[in-house]
This record gives sequence, C-alpha cells and structure tokens, in this order.
Amino acid sequence: MSSRILPSFASSPAGRELRAYADYAAVANELAGLTPDQTKLPPLRVAVLRNFTVEPLIPVLAGEIVAAGFHPQFYVGDFDAVQADALNPNSALYAFGPDVIVLAQWLETLSPALTTQFLSTPPAQIEDAVNGVRAHVREIAGALNANVRAPVLLNNFPLPGEPTLGILDSQSADHQTSTILRLNAQVLADAKELAGVAIVDFMRLFALHGSANCIDERYWQIARAPLAQKALIPVGSEYGKFFRALRGKTKKCLVVDCDNTLWGGIVGEDGPAGIKLGPTYPGSCFVALQQEILNLHHRGVILAICSKNNEADVLEVLREHPDMVLKEEHFAARQINWDDKVTNLRRIAAELNIGTDGFVLLDDSEFEVDFVRQGLPEVAVIALPPKAYASYRSVLTAPGYFDSLSFTAEDRRKTAMYGENRQRKALESASTSLAEYLAKLEIEAEIGVPSEIDVPRVAQLTQKTNQFNLTTRRYTERDVRSFAAADGSDVFALKVRDRISDSGLVGVAILTYENGTATIDSFLLSCRVIGRGVEDALLSFVVRHALHTKGCNRIVGAYVPTAKNAMVEGFYARNGFAALDETDGHRTWERRAGGGMQPEGPVWITLRRADLTHASR
Amino acid sequence: MQADNDAKLKRTLAEVLGVPEAEIGDDTSMDTVAAWDSLKHLNLVLAVEDRFGLSLTEEQSFEILSYPLLKAVLQEHGVDFAA
Repeated sequence: MSSRILPSFASSPAGRELRAYADYAAVANELAGLTPDQTKLPPLRVAVLRNFTVEPLIPVLAGEIVAAGFHPQFYVGDFDAVQADALNPNSALYAFGPDVIVLAQWLETLSPALTTQFLSTPPAQIEDAVNGVRAHVREIAGALNANVRAPVLLNNFPLPGEPTLGILDSQSADHQTSTILRLNAQVLADAKELAGVAIVDFMRLFALHGSANCIDERYWQIARAPLAQKALIPVGSEYGKFFRALRGKTKKCLVVDCDNTLWGGIVGEDGPAGIKLGPTYPGSCFVALQQEILNLHHRGVILAICSKNNEADVLEVLREHPDMVLKEEHFAARQINWDDKVTNLRRIAAELNIGTDGFVLLDDSEFEVDFVRQGLPEVAVIALPPKAYASYRSVLTAPGYFDSLSFTAEDRRKTAMYGENRQRKALESASTSLAEYLAKLEIEAEIGVPSEIDVPRVAQLTQKTNQFNLTTRRYTERDVRSFAAADGSDVFALKVRDRISDSGLVGVAILTYENGTATIDSFLLSCRVIGRGVEDALLSFVVRHALHTKGCNRIVGAYVPTAKNAMVEGFYARNGFAALDETDGHRTWERRAGGGMQPEGPVWITLRRADLTHASR
Repeated sequence: MQADNDAKLKRTLAEVLGVPEAEIGDDTSMDTVAAWDSLKHLNLVLAVEDRFGLSLTEEQSFEILSYPLLKAVLQEHGVDFAA
C-alpha cells in the first residue's frame, strides 16, 4: 500500500505518513487553526461546488494538498447551490478567489431519469435527459470560465453497478450503461471545447476499486454522501494528482535500484545468469515492472540508476541479458558504486541539472528507503514490499507521481535529449574556449508567437520550470491563449536546435503593455538548454520588440525569488537593465528606450523569426 | 492489547474531532464536544471503521454518540477493552 509523506509544516516535522483516513482527518484538524504564514506553505485555494455531501472527502483533499507542499484553503459551496455560485459574478465563490475549482456532480441527483427512474422514463426522453445534463455542465463550466481563471476539475459519471435491466442492460446500446457511457463521452467533448476543464475519471476509478466498494448506500441515504469509506482515499488522491500537475509538482525523474528491483536476486552474488528475470515467475514480475518503467520513459520521464554494486556487473546485465526490457541507453544518468544513496542522488541531480524534489526513488531496501527519506525528504520514495513481486508494477504506477495534464512531442524525446547533452559535453572538452565550443554547436534559435499546437507545451513549461524562471507564474493553456489573443499582451516561444539535435520549444516570454511600459510577466527557459546563450537571445528579442516594434518607453522585469530560482537573480543586471526599488520582496529592473542600440544577443546564435503576424503591434 | 484498543479509540476520536487525547473520557459525547457535529460524526464513523477494520451497521452508526457508547458498540464487534 502506497502512502503519502508530508513535508514539515508549522511545528509538524517532515516525514509523517498518510495511510489511513484518520491520518488525513488529523492533518485537516491541525490545519484548521493555522494560516499559511504559520505553516510556511504557500496557499492553494480550492473551491468545491457540489450536489452531494463531499465533506468526508475534504480531509483527504487537505492531506493530499499538504503532501504536495501547499496549505489548503477551502470554499465548500452550499448543497446543490452550484448554479447560484457559478452564475452570479458577485457570489461568495468568486469573492473567495479560487486557484482550482472542484465541480463534484452526482448523477442520481442531477438526473433521476438516467439513474433510478431510467425504466420509467420514455425512451424518447432519455436523449433529452442526456442533453439536459450536458447543458447543465456547459452552463456551469462556461460561467466559471467567464468569471475566474481557475481550472475546473469535473468528474464524469460512474457506470451503474446494478442497472435496472440486469443482464439485459448490456444487450442494447439504448440501455442504461451504454447511455451513461455515451453521456461521459459527450461531457468529455464538451469539456475539450470549453477549455480550462479537466475530467476526473470517476468511471475508471470506480471500475478500478469496484462500485460496490466505492458507494455506500448507508451514507447516501443518511447524509447524501455516496462515497464509501474505502473510496475516500482513492478518490481524494486522484484529485491530488490534478493539484500536483496543475501546480508544477509533477515528478521528473525515476531513479531505480537494481538488485531485487529491476531483477530478482543480487547480481554480485548470483551472477548475470543467476538473477531472476524472464518469462516465468518471479522473473516475469520484473519484466512487467521494467515494461512499466519503459512506458514512463516514453512518457518523458527521465530514468536513472542508483545502485550499490560493481558497475561492471550491472552494465553486463544491461548490455547482455536477453530478458532486459530496459537497456543502457534508456538511462540518462547512473551512479553505480558503494557510496551512500543520498550522495549519489545529489550527484544524479547535478548531472541532470534538475532538483532532487523532482525525483522518485524506487527501491526494495528498507534501509535505503529510510535513509533517503531522512536525508532528502523532498524525494518521493516508493518502497517495494519484500517478495510481493507481482504487486511491483502497480506499486510503481498507483501513486501517479509522473501524471501531468499534457503530453507533448518534447516529452517523447526527453531522455534522448539528455543523451545528446552528453555528446555536447564531449564536444565541449574538445574545444579550447567556451565561445569556440558554442560556435561549433551551430545553435539556431527561433522566436515566434506560439501556434495552437505549441500552446500545451508553453503552458507545461510555465507549470514545470523552476530554476530558470524569473517570476514562476504557473499558467494553464487557457491563460496562454488569452495572453496571446489580448491586445495588451504577447506570448513568445523560443525553439532551439543545434547540430546535434532539435531541443524543440524550450523558452517562453510573456509581455504585457500598459501606458508605454512593457512588463515582462514571465520569462523562463527549460534547464536542458541553460548556458548556451539562448536566454540572452530571447531577452534581447523581447527588449527590441517592446522598445522598437511596440514603441514602448521602457521595459521592466521582476525577479521573484523562490527556493529554486537563485540562478536568475542577476539575469536582468547582467543584460544591461538598471535596478529599481525593491517592492514586496521582488526586485525590479528596467531598460529605457533611446539608450543606444539594443543588444543583438550572442554572436554564436543564428536567430530566426517565426511568423510574428499574430503578435500585437 | 486491551489497553492498545482503548488508546487507539481515544486517538481516533482526538484526531477526528480535533481535541486533545487526554481530554477524551467517559463524559466525551456529541453534547459535550462542540466540534462533534453531524459531519464530524460521519468522519468519525468512517475513521473508526477504517482503524478497527470493521463495518458498523446503520443502527450502530447512529448509536455511537459518546465515547462509552462507541466502546460498547466496538465490544459488540469483538474489540477487547480493559474491564
């Protein structure tokens, strides 16, 4: 059973586990009297609009949010007052100012015709009922979109566990199960059209855990609370995956142990021929786990090895063993030695240029699991239960640490890119100076307005970039589109390629204009391309666009410090901006028009301009 | 074992209701603890079922309105408490 580990908050030490419902209830109670100033966690404001009793779920949402590193603040709308909250621009909901909205809808309340009264409803009216639910959802989600930028998490509808027609129900596409399947497909299509709405798949969750376990008729009849005790943690942690994905807490790198993790047995003792890995139990369990790890690799998760072993033994298995699904090239970094794992994880972080808080460690050793939890509490550790080999695959996937709300072409190529970075390092050591090396790379930077295809990647970069990020403002796809469409703002995307590879869309700048002043709302760069001067090329483009193309008098940029972005503290100063006063802990810099030629960016970069006709002028 | 169950019950009550464990006693009831409202009661039923690995009947989930009543109902389910 996986569990969540809490960070330290207020006087509570890091490392507390959330396993049982009472653990979540305890955390929720502790938080009740505390403010974000006291917990030292940034707030996450969640509004829950519902037509059923969600209160038992709130402690689980609270615990999940704390585990993600935020201080939960809730607004729970009145029972079945969803319209009143959503449609009135002056409602308490909008006064609350949510970061995320949970729209929790239970079909039995929304549409008796599709649930309890399915058979008493004339077939001709079933389609009306389906359209009625769709219209309701569209009305609510549309009003929420119009009034607030917060993304909306909308659940779809579980299939009936005991349909009115029994076994006959499954024999016709007009019956209840098929009707609800169709409704769910249409609600998804409506959500895609609305944008800013994500589907929380109750249908899948209830199938995974079983409707009989997920719905408790007692609480439904007593308190209009349909979710059974056994469903609260699965449902609450499903929402937790969305909170993490929306707030840039998606893990980036899976670090795996080798012995009794990638294969059964110990290669140093059993030898490559003696380890358990192959088509029959228990070796088949490790093949299945490796396939799941390979799937993560294809999703863009970076893989690394951290193992106490002789490197030659592990490499022999990686290169020679016929049943290895994972090969040497799938791993972007490896530390195979006898040093402690905290040291080795830090080395992997330095090599890959990502923070250890982006790591998930998969390990079977209780000692290593505890040691890393103590030494690097920000690393998510998945402990493989001893000898329960058949469970390993789902132990890895169930927590959803790598779940994100987008899947881009860049994700598919990511680990390959890290391999290409190793080639660049080889080129670097063959060059006498950095400038010579950069010139040899033949870097091309293309800056332009993001196309519709680019928008998910732009939003993803704002959500995931921590280090080279001047303001760390997280935006949804809808936000990006509205910045791009508005007259008073522009979004620019930077694409980079060089002679070794095409890194794709790796940088974003968002500008807003008001009264002759251009403000750099966001400026960020993926850590994969840091140190090649493309950031200077993007900034000089942005400055020229603001002062020359747009004719602004000045351009200002802020540095908002976080735990991660110290590397960009001096970015504006280094690029010829003058410091202004410090306000609210943000330092601001400006550059005025007429101060001579604006810089052209580094000489070793060939700058191309993509179509700029959509940029505001 | 018996003392464990008592401690477990007190801890569950304390956590769900948000009151200090030391204050849980025979006079702890829905009438004496301000935080013990109907929604907290639902959470309490869920937490007790979860912690003790059992399922309360409909009738029982309405009966457990105090610490002594909770103990009595749990004893019906075979949970041992010190006499």
